[in-house]
Amino acid sequence: MPPQDADRRTSASAAAAGAPGSSATAPQSDWSALMALSQEGDRAAYVSLLQSVTPYLRALARRGGVDGAEIEDAVQDVLLTLHAIRHTYDPRRPFGPWLLAIARHRMADRLRRRGRLLARETALGEEHVTFAADETNNPERAESARRLRAAISALPAGQRQAVELLRLKELSLKEAAARSGQTETALKVAMHRAIKRLRRLLGEG
Amino acid sequence: MGSTEELIATLGGELRPVRRLPPPALRAAGWIALATALIAVLALLRGLRADMTAQLADPAYWVQVAGAWMTGAAATLAAFNVSLPDRSRLWLLLPAPFALLWLWGFAYGCLGDWIAIPEGAPVMADSARCLETIVMASVPMSLVLWLMLRRNRPLRPEGTAWIGALAVAGFADTAHLLIHVVEASLLVLLVNLLPATVILLVGGLVGRRPLATGA
Repeated sequence: MPPQDADRRTSASAAAAGAPGSSATAPQSDWSALMALSQEGDRAAYVSLLQSVTPYLRALARRGGVDGAEIEDAVQDVLLTLHAIRHTYDPRRPFGPWLLAIARHRMADRLRRRGRLLARETALGEEHVTFAADETNNPERAESARRLRAAISALPAGQRQAVELLRLKELSLKEAAARSGQTETALKVAMHRAIKRLRRLLGEG
Repeated sequence: MGSTEELIATLGGELRPVRRLPPPALRAAGWIALATALIAVLALLRGLRADMTAQLADPAYWVQVAGAWMTGAAATLAAFNVSLPDRSRLWLLLPAPFALLWLWGFAYGCLGDWIAIPEGAPVMADSARCLETIVMASVPMSLVLWLMLRRNRPLRPEGTAWIGALAVAGFADTAHLLIHVVEASLLVLLVNLLPATVILLVGGLVGRRPLATGA
């Protein structure tokens, strides 16, 4: 990059800190010349111009209340509009006010759009959080599970133990018998009775 | 969106030379000349109003015609300026004093009509022809103005469309005042406002489209 370009960039950043109409006079005359060349199709001048106005546009966006993550989007909006209407620039007039007007319009549009979004959207709370597992997103199923758990805890101790070991922990009859100290037959009977009772409790039988 | 640097490289890569817009005053002058020529052609084709000699002696008539034409001209100048990004929004106020003049003549004529439409005057027949004149003036004027203003790709499409519509209304009414006896009737008012309103609505909707770039 030629040294004068680097200088221009520096002065553009410096201008970004101040009011565009006053302190930015020096880069503006450069900008104006670069824009005139761009209108004639000079690509190098155009790229140099766009790079040079970018820090100024970022500063404008920040001052205009655009949020951190959106600043680059806002800057790009302005650059795209500048590109689309570059034929409307009159090189006899200062470039700064022309660019500033475009930037203000585009940023105001952006803030309006954001305002509309905020008015329509609600922040997500814990109650809106969902999980990939299907059953967590189905409140009816969750309700049945709650009822089933309540019904199981209402069973007599022997039957409850049979359900817990055989169905919830999915042990084999032999393992369940070993763990509970009951015979396999006693467990089978308890399980059978438990199922019957649960059906009754849940209104299905 | 990608990074800003990438965008700059893309825009630089697709840069083509563009033809600069001529100064707004020049473009406005061109359109005003065109509209005025159309008024003259319409007046030739359809003939001046029957009571022209009497009207020429009436200052109120002059005020109204001049008010309508100047409203049209001022609104045109305002439209070509306000559609550019770096021109003041205050341009929208430029036609206001002329519009007051126009409306004053308009109200005055309305009162005059109320009192003085002669018995048996062919008011209805003239009203129908008057509608024709206004459509014949408004449609081509609106079309050309719309095409010209579209090249500006206005950042303020609503203001531009509104003021452009006012320009057409001013010139269309100038044609009407030169050609028709029935002035300032409710019909004329409606016929002047209706195309303006439609243009305003369509302008508000369509005017944004060219600027959707990057949005």
